[in-house]
Amino acid sequence: MSAPMRRSLLIIGFIIFTITVFAQEQRASGVVISAIDRSGLPGVNVLIKGTSQGTITDATGKFSLNAPVGSTLAFSFIGYQPVEISFTGQASLEIILQEELKELSEVVVMGYSSVQKRDITGSVTSIKSDRFKDIALSGIDQALQGQAAGVQVVQSSGTPGGGISVRIRGSSSIYGSNRPLFIVDGIPVETGSLSLRSFGGQDDNALSLINPGDIESIQVLKDASAKSMYGSRAANGVVVITTKRGKKSSYAINFDVQRGIIDPVKKQELLSSTDLLTLQREAVKNAGQNPDALGLIPGVTDGVNTHWLDEIFRRGILEQYQLTLSGGDENTSYYISGNYRSEEGVQLNNKFERLSGTINLDEKVTKKLSLGTNITMSRSLNKRVKGDNFLDGVYSGALKSLPYNVPFDESGKLVGPGSPLYAAFPNFNPVAQAVLPRFDAITVKMLGGINATYVFNQNFKLRGQTSIDYNNVIEDQYESSQTAIGGYLDGVGGQGYGVYIVGSTTNFVANGTLSYNKSINQTHNISALLGTEVFRKFERSGNVVGRLFPSDDFTYITSAGIVDNGSSGRLNSGLFSVFSEAKYDFKDKYLASFGIRADGSSRFGPGNRFGFFPSLSAAWRITEEDFFKSNKISDLKLRASIGLSGNEGIPDYQFLGVWASTLYNGSSGVAPSQLGNPNLKWETTREINVGTDISLFDGRIQATADVYYKKTYDLLLPRPYAYTTGFSSVWENIGELENKGFEFGVVTVNVDRKVKWSTDFNLSKNLNKVLFLADSVPIYRGFSAEGVSATNIIKEGYPLGTFIGLNFLGVDPATGDAIYDDTNKDGKINNSDEIIIGTAQPKLIGGITNKVSYRNFDFTAFFQFSYGNKVLNYTKASLLNSGLDITSNQSPEALRRWQKEGDITDVPRYELGNTFNNYHSNRLIEDGSFVRLKNVGVGYTLPAKISQRFYLNAFRIYASATNIWTYTKYSGADPEVSTLSGSISAQGIDFFTLPQVKTITIGLNATLK
Amino acid sequence: MKRSILHIVSVLVLISISTSCDEVLEPKPVDILTDDLVLNEPNDVPNVEIGLYGAFRGIPTNAVISGDFTADMLIHNGTFSQYRELGTKQITSANASAAASWSNIYSAVYIANFIFERLPAVSGVTTTQRNKTMGTAYFLRGLSYFYGLYTFGGIPNVQTTSIEANRNIPRASKEDILDLILNDYKDALELLPEEPVNAGFVGKDAVRAAMARYYLFTKQWSLAEAAASEVINSGRYLLEPDFTNIVLDDFTDEAIFEIGYNITDDPGTLNNLFKSRREIIPSNQVVVSLASAQSGTRFSSIEFNVSNLAGTDNGWTVSKYGTADQDNNNVIVFRLAEMYLIRAEARANQNKVSGLNSAQSDINELRKRANAPLLTILSQSQMLLAIEEERRMELAFEGHRWYDLVRTGRVTAIMSAFSSNWKSTYELWPIPQTEIQNNPSLAGQQNPGY
Repeated sequence: MSAPMRRSLLIIGFIIFTITVFAQEQRASGVVISAIDRSGLPGVNVLIKGTSQGTITDATGKFSLNAPVGSTLAFSFIGYQPVEISFTGQASLEIILQEELKELSEVVVMGYSSVQKRDITGSVTSIKSDRFKDIALSGIDQALQGQAAGVQVVQSSGTPGGGISVRIRGSSSIYGSNRPLFIVDGIPVETGSLSLRSFGGQDDNALSLINPGDIESIQVLKDASAKSMYGSRAANGVVVITTKRGKKSSYAINFDVQRGIIDPVKKQELLSSTDLLTLQREAVKNAGQNPDALGLIPGVTDGVNTHWLDEIFRRGILEQYQLTLSGGDENTSYYISGNYRSEEGVQLNNKFERLSGTINLDEKVTKKLSLGTNITMSRSLNKRVKGDNFLDGVYSGALKSLPYNVPFDESGKLVGPGSPLYAAFPNFNPVAQAVLPRFDAITVKMLGGINATYVFNQNFKLRGQTSIDYNNVIEDQYESSQTAIGGYLDGVGGQGYGVYIVGSTTNFVANGTLSYNKSINQTHNISALLGTEVFRKFERSGNVVGRLFPSDDFTYITSAGIVDNGSSGRLNSGLFSVFSEAKYDFKDKYLASFGIRADGSSRFGPGNRFGFFPSLSAAWRITEEDFFKSNKISDLKLRASIGLSGNEGIPDYQFLGVWASTLYNGSSGVAPSQLGNPNLKWETTREINVGTDISLFDGRIQATADVYYKKTYDLLLPRPYAYTTGFSSVWENIGELENKGFEFGVVTVNVDRKVKWSTDFNLSKNLNKVLFLADSVPIYRGFSAEGVSATNIIKEGYPLGTFIGLNFLGVDPATGDAIYDDTNKDGKINNSDEIIIGTAQPKLIGGITNKVSYRNFDFTAFFQFSYGNKVLNYTKASLLNSGLDITSNQSPEALRRWQKEGDITDVPRYELGNTFNNYHSNRLIEDGSFVRLKNVGVGYTLPAKISQRFYLNAFRIYASATNIWTYTKYSGADPEVSTLSGSISAQGIDFFTLPQVKTITIGLNATLK
Repeated sequence: MKRSILHIVSVLVLISISTSCDEVLEPKPVDILTDDLVLNEPNDVPNVEIGLYGAFRGIPTNAVISGDFTADMLIHNGTFSQYRELGTKQITSANASAAASWSNIYSAVYIANFIFERLPAVSGVTTTQRNKTMGTAYFLRGLSYFYGLYTFGGIPNVQTTSIEANRNIPRASKEDILDLILNDYKDALELLPEEPVNAGFVGKDAVRAAMARYYLFTKQWSLAEAAASEVINSGRYLLEPDFTNIVLDDFTDEAIFEIGYNITDDPGTLNNLFKSRREIIPSNQVVVSLASAQSGTRFSSIEFNVSNLAGTDNGWTVSKYGTADQDNNNVIVFRLAEMYLIRAEARANQNKVSGLNSAQSDINELRKRANAPLLTILSQSQMLLAIEEERRMELAFEGHRWYDLVRTGRVTAIMSAFSSNWKSTYELWPIPQTEIQNNPSLAGQQNPGY
């Protein structure tokens, strides 16, 4: 409402008021505030009940009017529950308006159109920003964790800005992408890793470039109907993100600051020098060798006892600042924000910094035409350290390094190659590995779009949008001569090793939609949409490697003695799509919708480019039926959907048989690089969903339940070929897999008085199964391991993420050797005895959030849990290795080893070089179930009266803590990890993976209007 | 205003519809060539030939691992399970080195067969170029099969590029593969030029050297002697006066064929395993042998650094196989010294033990070069043992030892003393497990003991 208009209303109100003046009248004044953020609410209607007298609150929520004592004042505002109070002549009134419970009237943005939540016929979960506003999230994908039924979010490790795997209703592809499509304000954004150099299993995350503080709401589209407008790439679900936009009110400035500390959730226990030495001497003696000759001398070797984890860990500092300006009038609205985040990792030298800015503008140019734009620029600096399965990783090195070694020499210098104290291969010096290298990944993202909407008449609307998602990454790296690569491994670096990589990924999208809406006598509601879209992706990269630097003072390749490795490349791909949707409802009682999308993809050969993805859904609102009368059930809807969605997430040009350049002896030539398959086509998922939405007691209980079945066929797989063909595999559409499961979500308002308590609970179960593979030949994945084919298998009848290994039966009390099950009874223990030993797929996942508010205090506790998933504690293959080598420290479990005849234990005897006792078996499989207090927060909002004294509309201080409590039986540092970040076939492996971190922050939020 | 904006909107929509569909859906592949364009004009021929060398070069590199590491030359000092298996003599069919050896052989065979199928149809190629490329293809295919035969036994005989046929192909007999090798060598000998550009490529002498080795392995002593003599007597090769140069230099005067690497194309495999990471180090036994008086300057094949001495690490390092910028990153396939050793063994087996043109005179050529004491008169059986030891010292870390011991039937005797885990079935490597899974004709065809 514009100021002149408000003024004129006030004048009118004043005139009315003066006419009907009573003798007993008194001045009634006060402030109306919102229960959500305790800020003053402008534009609230204040009415003396039974009269036409009233007023409207001003920009800060204040009002003042003359009212008879004993009269009733009624306060009302759109989106809030009306409040009535009786006026007894109080000097100052404070009225708190609660948000309306009926979320059903909410408008949900679903792809190219929006619908009222109550009219949704598919399966959609909405997450509003207040669910995560106090948590210092690094990325928008983290916001989904534990918040939506059917969505499994696993953060790969505690590395800041690191990879996060998001799965909606299970994994529907084996080799194609399994990441949902993320749409930000209509722009499909880049997901996954942008970095161009592997960091030992731990990826970076393109989504961490988008500031969660700018997000208004997130919709997770789960079934075929909800995501039909994204048919082609929707098989893994769609996450539609809407950023904040200006409101038609006067301006508001909001400032938010959060600061906190970060620590690892748990530190793995390791042996002391003396215990390890005793163990190693025993192992050497058992192998018939002399431990003294190997330099394992009591009193000398264990003279130092370094706690390597303490050496590489630190307490990290988290800071985040956000400044927002938003506002608007009848024709223009704006939202401008700037955000800075700095998050130190718990490993030395590890840090993630992000600076981002957003401008969203909407302009109503004429009555019929409106234009909008959204621009986000973001830059992050990720100071990375090597992790996980890198021998020269920091955390992995710290776990493995012998306590006999030291990080610093007597003069306080870092121990490096050349020093007699240097541990050398394979453990190096983890502290030096953290501190000395420069692994800066600088990522710049520009996400921008313009859109125009033209309303022809009340039925027809035309909308066009073009947008760009530009991502640029620079890897600026130098490993000094005192590191493993730069110094110790002279075949690689020798005297410093510099790498410089530049890459960019640019996505262009242009689309146009024509929509039609018509309501006939409020009975027949028809809407239809026709659209087309072009998507083009350009990827370019180049890298250069240099070594032999004059000294470590020179760290850029311009100073390298030899520049012997460089390359550049380009990839293009594109999609061309046409889509249409039609919806019909009869009196809001019977609802039906039909959608179809046809997509052509450059990744398939001529004749197979286009895929067609139709969907059909229907819903029946029983509460609208005449026969159904209940004052308890306010809304009950049954819905069902069926449809197809696709996946083209494979590398480019796989349908072509091609040769690539090769070098030999200084000459260049060509060699076959891949076998073509002209028949390659879309991977398709067929899904059925049946669900219900129910709302009880005027919306105080709202529940949603869904069951679904998804079958993916024509799976895109590199079919393994016998090497005798000259090739190892070719991409084919072979294989089928299914996902089926249920989801349940409920939101309840338990207490709604002075104390307000609400609970949000979700639970889901997904069963994944591989139905068919080419030639029924299993595919081995994961890590190679002693005595078995691999750690993971993809096999018909079993889910993705299945572990294989030998069946460990125990330790022979007579010999101390491991006993394995000779499953094929051939008298030999080898990889033909391997069996399925578990799966990383959980039986149940879910989350529960409780929110309590009382007066100006609010409190949130959010628990997340996973039940029934197994974790492969592959770290133990090194840290409980039965004496395989004497270059790794061991876990305290080794103290239980078999030592003499008759010992009954589950840890085999230690013998140097013995591989048999360390064969890969279910000894390393553990229950990975956990319950975790993911977040707990408490906030206090200053009473409006006080904050206004400081010219603030609202002022809130809050504290928030993440991951501070976990219940699990898992013996490693953290069950909620996954090395091989984002892997589908080898999930749930803990291989020197940095545990999650716990974060404790305090913050304050101030709004100025 | 309103009109122009409406115009913009419609243009926006039109752009998205009318953007050329072809441009979006058929982006031109970058930096790759489709199958049909690879070999259809004269300029393509040298490129494909280089591709064949590139595919072949993994084979001798892997043979250094199989030849020296399966035997008593090397021990494990690292973390990779494929090398640990070789070190502890607990080799499994999942071994990644076995898979690499096998797949490299058939990658090279594929390109050779591709040349045989496509090159004859390409017009305008000069006869010289055509003969050189065909000859190279015959020779490298034959040599690939030679390595395959002695590493895995009778392996599938792949003669075409037909994917369907080669996905389901049984093992061939040892005799068939031997015939194939000899025929390929004979064809190559006819077609190849006498002298290549440098020893990184092949000419007739490389074929003669390969034939000498072939006859040695098949115990055709007089043929072996003749073939070796032809190379020795050609005068094109001289024993490098200083053995250290064999260790530290590429393309020495005695190089007949080396796998060429230079600074831009070095994958660093052996350097990384032997020197950088020291994943694999010399065994104590080989250190003793190379440090002996008879070894002489051949001691330069290894080096010692006291700072490495710790735990199971004996502090010794293989000196061959430098980094990309050093001059010893090539892998030797044939050099003149091996011809002397082949001839010596062929002569000894023909009872030409001592005197002029005898086993003894050949060995002493190498002893002289190594500044080692000359061999004095021995019996035939002593001479054969002396040649075995001479080969171990002279050809250390060039991938010979295991093949030699298997060939002479001495492997179990020697290796049982080296490792208690040794089994007589380790005379052959396992066929890669994935290969048996993916090729139905190989079901049940695994080598014994795996």
